[in-house]
Amino acid sequence: MSEPFLELVDISKNYPGVVALDHVDLSVSRGEVIALIGENGAGKSTLMRVLGGVVEPSGGLLRVDGVERSSLTVAEAIKAGIAFVHQELNLFDNLDVAGNVFIGREPVYGGPLRLIDRKQLHARVRPLLERLGADFGPDAPLAELSLAQHQLVEIMKALSLDARLVIMDEPTSSLTLTETDRLMRVIAALKADGVSVIFITHRLNEVVQCADRAVVLRDGHVVGSLRRDELAPAAMIRLMIGRDLKSLYVPPAAPPGASVLDIDGAVTSTYPDRAVSLSVRRGEILGLAGLVGSGRTELARAIFGVDPLQAGAIRLDGEAIRVASPRAAIDHGIYLIPEDRKGCGLLLDVSIAENISLPDLASYLRFFLVNTARETANARTQRERLKIRAPDVGTTVGSLSGGNQQKVVLAKWLSMRPKVLIFDEPTRGVDVGAKQEIYDMLRRLTDAGVAILMISSDMEEVIGVSDRIAVMHEGAISGFLDRSQFSEHNVLQLAVGHAVE
Amino acid sequence: MQRLVVAGISVAVSALLGLASAQAADKKVLAFVVNGASDFWKIAEAGVKKAQGELPNYDLQLKYPEQAAAAVQQRMMDDLVAAGAAGIMVSAVDPKNQTEHLNKVASQTLLFTTDSDAPNSKRIAYIGSSNTELGKDAGKMMLKALPNGGKCVGFVGLPGADNARERIEGVKETIKGSKIELVDVRGDEIDQTRAKRNVEDILAAMPDVSCMVGFYSYNTPRIYEVLKEAGKLGKIQIIGFDEDPITLGGVKEGSIAGTVVQQPYEWGYQGMKLMAAYIGGNKSGVPANGIIIVPGKVIDKSNVDDFMASMKAMLKK
Amino acid sequence: MNKKDLSLLVLILVVGAVVAFINPRFLYVGNLSNTLNQVGMFGIFSIAEAFVIIIGGIELSVGSVIALLGVLFIDLIVNHDVNWVLALAMIIAAGLAIGAVHGTLVTKIGIQPFVVTLCGLLIYRGAARYYTEDATAGFGFGASFPMLEWLTAGRTNILGFPLPHSVIALFVIAVIAWVVLHRSVFGRYLYAVGKNEEAARYSGIRSGRVVIAAYVICGGLTAFAAILIAMYTRSISPAVHGSFYELYAIAAAVLGGCSLRGGEGSIVGVVLGTVLLQVLQNLVNLLGIPSSLNFAVMGTVILIGVLADQYLVQRRRRATTAKGVPQASGAGASVGASAE
Repeated sequence: MSEPFLELVDISKNYPGVVALDHVDLSVSRGEVIALIGENGAGKSTLMRVLGGVVEPSGGLLRVDGVERSSLTVAEAIKAGIAFVHQELNLFDNLDVAGNVFIGREPVYGGPLRLIDRKQLHARVRPLLERLGADFGPDAPLAELSLAQHQLVEIMKALSLDARLVIMDEPTSSLTLTETDRLMRVIAALKADGVSVIFITHRLNEVVQCADRAVVLRDGHVVGSLRRDELAPAAMIRLMIGRDLKSLYVPPAAPPGASVLDIDGAVTSTYPDRAVSLSVRRGEILGLAGLVGSGRTELARAIFGVDPLQAGAIRLDGEAIRVASPRAAIDHGIYLIPEDRKGCGLLLDVSIAENISLPDLASYLRFFLVNTARETANARTQRERLKIRAPDVGTTVGSLSGGNQQKVVLAKWLSMRPKVLIFDEPTRGVDVGAKQEIYDMLRRLTDAGVAILMISSDMEEVIGVSDRIAVMHEGAISGFLDRSQFSEHNVLQLAVGHAVE
Repeated sequence: MQRLVVAGISVAVSALLGLASAQAADKKVLAFVVNGASDFWKIAEAGVKKAQGELPNYDLQLKYPEQAAAAVQQRMMDDLVAAGAAGIMVSAVDPKNQTEHLNKVASQTLLFTTDSDAPNSKRIAYIGSSNTELGKDAGKMMLKALPNGGKCVGFVGLPGADNARERIEGVKETIKGSKIELVDVRGDEIDQTRAKRNVEDILAAMPDVSCMVGFYSYNTPRIYEVLKEAGKLGKIQIIGFDEDPITLGGVKEGSIAGTVVQQPYEWGYQGMKLMAAYIGGNKSGVPANGIIIVPGKVIDKSNVDDFMASMKAMLKK
Repeated sequence: MNKKDLSLLVLILVVGAVVAFINPRFLYVGNLSNTLNQVGMFGIFSIAEAFVIIIGGIELSVGSVIALLGVLFIDLIVNHDVNWVLALAMIIAAGLAIGAVHGTLVTKIGIQPFVVTLCGLLIYRGAARYYTEDATAGFGFGASFPMLEWLTAGRTNILGFPLPHSVIALFVIAVIAWVVLHRSVFGRYLYAVGKNEEAARYSGIRSGRVVIAAYVICGGLTAFAAILIAMYTRSISPAVHGSFYELYAIAAAVLGGCSLRGGEGSIVGVVLGTVLLQVLQNLVNLLGIPSSLNFAVMGTVILIGVLADQYLVQRRRRATTAKGVPQASGAGASVGASAE
């Protein structure tokens, strides 16, 4: 292996209150395949954004071909041969493959008319297609290609820019097994051509399969680097965890009762050939862990009636129910606190009081009209109870902090009679103080007999708050953990599809 | 399946087109393109129908553009020319600015103008009234109705259109030197709500107005209605143009001094006959200057019954 | 009355004062009564439009619907001797049906409201013209429906002021609409769907039904306005009757604070917007401004109104940010979270 052409030395990145990267070193040699692994929030994406020129590091330096600089711009990164294949692909599905690869750099003719030279465009794309062994032509419309094929187009775009390093952020998270296999072969082909690859992944067997080296990040530090001959899932997981979790856990006042919500063989459209079965008991918090894209949000949406269930049954207190719409779920006492708070949870430029009363306006009726006095009074009660920090319940929700917004979403449902509450990432974007308040509220709710299903990607939260954990992997439950089995190691094992030892 | 349906439809459409062109092939088409939809042209249509009865070898068509816009009318004429029409008689929306286009049409087919002339174009003939003359007729009625003079306000759809301008000019020419003054003419873009509104506003703004002139056919009924609601019938003189039923009713009742009518029936009838004769080689019907004036008619209380009867008879055919 | 409505009222009063100063006959009872009559007719279908705009839609077929239903109404009572009460009911039902079709196409089939109602604009205009073969539909001379005429186009003397019945109808409709929009559950749903349809759905609101209901209300009110306008002009040339009226309605709604993105607007504002538009029409005639400038005057005043509003909103926003709304902690944390 040759000299490294790219080196990151002592790179740090601070956000207000958060250290995303803490003195990180990394070097990349020609034709090297590096796997970057670590938990959610370990700093992997931030590190890659520094490389791509999107994020300016707070400290440290980058050395490109021996030239030192404190940061890169996007244009400089591209010039240096660094190309980014994004998690959310930046493609135009109204153009064909060739159009996408050369977007903004189309070969033109006709002088000032700047007409696109389609012939040359296709001629330039064809060798790239061959190089990657693609099974589609340069004129295939993007809209007709699969996600995996879209990725190939992104990679071609990178290669057409003479990339020396291709960075892929969780490239396989939404691919099928065969597609993943193909991508692995593409990575091998790139390597053979002398192109280096850094890929971020949660799938440890992929790392074993194709990486020359794995770099493990935790809390913004590089905690270890494993050579090809040291690569084994157990070793990687050990490095990824390696910290003591603060114990947040407050045990329930009474042992959990009978099961309230039973999901039986639920199939969602994202994973049409996988089924999920689980039960949530009265007075318990069931944590639902798993990697991003493992189908947890889709499951929550199906239970709440946002998306139709492809197959399977939902039982509430033992009785089968049909949930065709959120209205139906709400009428049954099943409520969802969605992940996308601003998009789905709240009306941002409407007052706190009106947000809280929205799902239950019928109970504020006086004749046909909304009893605003009662609405305000109830909102004030909820504000006290949840400690929503706002000058008044007439304040518009958009001006509140993330934590207080989340409390408003919660207040909507608490003023009704919840049987089952589904939280999707309950504390995303919520500050530490409000986080604890929300956890306290969860416990108080379960002690009052509510069953809670809590989807969370935050390991500390899953382990610290749940009474029981279910872990999802690729659209199915890969295992359940009781409190005695709780450990990051076990959760991660299940999340990447391995059994617990 | 979808393809099958599309194929079926295209076969059906082409079959229909084939039939239509086959029919067109044995008869020469003479088209009368009007400037918008109105009852006025319904009378012309009666004349066209009469001509059709006498011209079995021609297919006479009366065409209404979907909007009273020059562009729409031009497209319609282009389509007719493309379909091989032997002659077109047109009431141009905007004859001055359509000259060039009218010339293009005239170079490909026989072109007559009617209603409003385009004297600078290469049209073969104009058949219709002289709006200036009609205006003069109205002016004479005003002189008769207001022997002591007074302030008058006119109402019109499109003040910029030639027919409106010429009528107004005719009125002004006639009342020049008398004590009658036409102080303003309000336009309404052929929006009836605004037409009525304009009358109401003028009534409010000018308490001393002593006569109102409705230059377009629908303006007079709107004047009549407003004055009736305001209890001013008889106190303010109404002079009208054209033969809206309410106008005629008002004339009969005595609350409208009179109305000047054109004879679209004659335009339709004579125009079509002349075109057919011209195509047939007999060009004697067209004078050297190409202008054939069908005079207007003044309808007042004395002859309104006769006129209504004859109109009824004409429309029956 | 909110701040926006108040500033609109001020604008109306200023324009009115200027006109009255130049031509005092603006304040003449007859003139005010006539202007109010116009406000009545235009206000009703502007409120109709506002319902659809508030849920984030648009209704472009208002003018064509006014033409088609007006023609049908006159035809029913004049040529088919249908009892006018029955005819009125039939026309309103037709309006509701048109609204239901539009709403269904928008929600169930997922066609954009602009496209659905643009097609409606063309279809109903064509249908109206075809129905009468382009002839004018009208009452003949002396045809008389005293009761209907009195109800729709009549005026009642109240303290010496001839109050047009159309404006009484507008008042009743506006009060009901105000209560529905600003006080009822359904009104909340309308605003919620207009603001954020997804969040409304997650709160258990059946957004599809709400959208359809808004179009149905719009259709029904438009039909009612169509009857009033038909009874006012007493004659309808289907090719031009009511053309561009949707733009009057949209202009009134925008002046009244409706956002075309949905979720905003007040009934008081829409009524005031209509008043302003009609005062502008009145002043063109009263001040002897050439009729051809009519639309230009209207457009200019709307633009000035909207610009002034933008300016005020920005000033208010600057004032609030200067005061400092506490949200720094939340923003910091969310940056941290997205830095995974």
